[in-house]
Amino acid sequence: MSELAVSELSPELVASLEAIVGKDRVLSDADSKAHYGGDWTRVYRPAPCAVVLPGSIEQVQEVVRLAARENLAVVPSGGRTGLSAGAVAYRGELVIALDRLNSISDFNPVERSVRCGAGVITEQLQNFAQEQGLFYPVDFASAGSSQIGGNISTNAGGIKVIRHGMTRDWVAGLKLVTGTGELLDLNRGLMKNNAGYDLRQLVIGAEGTLGIVVEATMRLARPPQDPVVLVLGTPDMASVMEVLEVYQKRMDLQAFEFFSELALQKVVEHQGLQRPFESPTEFYALLEFEQRSEADMELAMELFEHCVEQGWVIDGVISQSVAQAESLWRLREDISETIARWTPYKNDISTTVSKVPAFLAEVESVVNGAYPDFEIVWFGHIGDGNVHLNVLKPDALPKAEFQQRCGEVSRWVFEIVQRYGGSVSAEHGVGLLKKDYLHYSRSALEVDLMRQIKRAFDPAGIMNPGKIFDL
Amino acid sequence: MKVLVAVKRVVDHNVKVRAKADGSDVDLNNVKMAINPFCEIAVEEAVRLKEAGVASEIIAVSVGDKACQEQIRTALALGADRGIQIETEGAVEPLVVAKLLKGVVEKEQPQLVILGKQSIDGDNNQTGQMLGALANMGQGTFASEVKVDGDHVSVTREVDGGLQTVKLKLPAIVTTDLRLNEPRYASLPNIMKAKKKQLDVYTPADLGVEITSHLTQLRVEPPAERQAGIKVESVAQLVDKLKNEAKVI
Ligand SMILES: Cc1cc2nc3c(=O)[nH]c(=O)nc-3n(C[C@H](O)[C@H](O)[C@H](O)COP(=O)(O)OP(=O)(O)OC[C@H]3O[C@@H](n4cnc5c(N)ncnc54)[C@H](O)[C@@H]3O)c2cc1C
Repeated sequence: MSELAVSELSPELVASLEAIVGKDRVLSDADSKAHYGGDWTRVYRPAPCAVVLPGSIEQVQEVVRLAARENLAVVPSGGRTGLSAGAVAYRGELVIALDRLNSISDFNPVERSVRCGAGVITEQLQNFAQEQGLFYPVDFASAGSSQIGGNISTNAGGIKVIRHGMTRDWVAGLKLVTGTGELLDLNRGLMKNNAGYDLRQLVIGAEGTLGIVVEATMRLARPPQDPVVLVLGTPDMASVMEVLEVYQKRMDLQAFEFFSELALQKVVEHQGLQRPFESPTEFYALLEFEQRSEADMELAMELFEHCVEQGWVIDGVISQSVAQAESLWRLREDISETIARWTPYKNDISTTVSKVPAFLAEVESVVNGAYPDFEIVWFGHIGDGNVHLNVLKPDALPKAEFQQRCGEVSRWVFEIVQRYGGSVSAEHGVGLLKKDYLHYSRSALEVDLMRQIKRAFDPAGIMNPGKIFDL
Repeated sequence: MKVLVAVKRVVDHNVKVRAKADGSDVDLNNVKMAINPFCEIAVEEAVRLKEAGVASEIIAVSVGDKACQEQIRTALALGADRGIQIETEGAVEPLVVAKLLKGVVEKEQPQLVILGKQSIDGDNNQTGQMLGALANMGQGTFASEVKVDGDHVSVTREVDGGLQTVKLKLPAIVTTDLRLNEPRYASLPNIMKAKKKQLDVYTPADLGVEITSHLTQLRVEPPAERQAGIKVESVAQLVDKLKNEAKVI
């Protein structure tokens, strides 16, 4: 792939790019390169040749056509909150940042849909929906920075998946600029469209390897009524799963998250938050449900009593106001940001929900055995069978050595994932960080088909090369 | 020592309220209600006094229709021992609330009455002070620290210039400010226990109070909408706009 990369653009190429996007929209100073060339990960050093900020779909097309002609690799960049280095330009690629395609238009109350530029911030869409008395249900801690184009390209999940699904479920249509600079208008907002392959679905989660998402028609939901949050303390992981089963059997949960005592300690200490209750427990489950009537609350209480009688729950609290619901959510949502200072080694693994207890027991014993001297923070969307396993770097240990030790243990963890038919990346994508482990979740045949699909969309191989798999 | 805490049911402070279309009132239909944040702080302070062995019994009292029992139950879950609801209909003004509370004070003879400095719906900031006058008790308002010492209570008050500490002879009235404490969450086991705690309902007549109204609400309307901002290209343009359009310099 190295013949694709350059470290400096020729003055002629800079001039051609400037002619397309305007003089101020081609950036090559060190700060801009570091900013636009990276994402939330800190493993690879951003090293793009330059950054362009197109202001229209046509400009994106022209830049891509130019890149294809010049055999120049490009990296699409959204909100740069990705956790698998998918948006990292690390070997002289040209970064195409979608920030300027940030308008929301054509709200359609009948369809409950709205058209978004790829650069619309997730929170911007959430706020827009709220102003219309509606709700955009894909939500997570980075929603204030991540973009719709990035969400689509990673098929982002988040904290409401158990009820509302992933980003995929909210994309009614999208426009893609392929590796040859052509524009595809996929699905056009249709609810029903069985006329051939649904190419839109291939683009969702493709991490920019098939082309650049420039626009999407997103669906909106009805807002939840009176959401109530519970935080329950449990003695072990198996109990968390019992609680999930008991509640899910009887109630429509909006969310079911979990975190470990160490995660709580770090968040309480560094964010100045209040513990939910005094006595520490091994794990905590966070549940959200809609209180449509008194009966919902009574049921939630009844199930709580049952869980306490069974010994699955030791203590618990319930939000009495919206402010309290938000504070309780912060206990879960602030974890990622809080532990970022320990440059954690992140694993985002999943299996089917019913297999989670046995799966986790195995993962836990491997991890606890392998890292007796490391701090391990567990949290995640356990209601979806998805856990985030974070190993914190001890301050004294050099980064390279830490990465290497974690990498070794990852293999054991992924072998368990493989045996359980799980995924090595539940929602963060593969990017560069999980590329070597893709085969634990995907067969050689599957990966080969992916390569062929990529070639069909991007014959020159310029779209985010080296991400997910090598050609 | 017996402590009386007043709690009010108000619109949840995170809810964006709307005026009714006819402008007669705030639209409370399907709106999330919660305990007034300052009252929550009052309950927390009482519970801390009890945990410290200073208070022996906490009584939570609320004035309102049946729905306000929900907020009394919250106070009971947070640690109050029993509740009193004074059944009223519609909006009651601070003077009436103060008279009703005075009735409860006479019945219960608490050594300390803790109230929020104001409730976030009416923002009146009157009830505590009026109760002090009616019941002839000393008052420490806007409290950021409360220390009971024998038959006195020291109250640190948040005043404009800084902090002021007053020493009051018990029985006394304290109204809470934001910094007094951070209220705890209601634990589920305590919420269940609270269901079994005693909750008495009185009518205003039981307390010898006749409800009269001295206030008429004329109109409720939303504040004028803020105009969208613009981005200026240069300092010169900013100065020009401030001078010639906004006419502020
Ligand atoms: C604190 C924190 C919490 C998080 N929590 C969650 C969570 O709960 N669930 C979850 O799923 N993720 C989570 N993430 C990960 C991340 O926020 C999501 O993956 C998000 O969808 C990334 O969007 P982005 O715009 O930042 O994309 P980027 O990081 O900019 O890019 C991600 C990938 O998409 C590609 N890309 C970006 N824009 C486009 C485009 N317009 N066209 C084509 N390709 C494009 C990039 O090349 C890259 O491969 C979290 C991240 C952080 C920092």
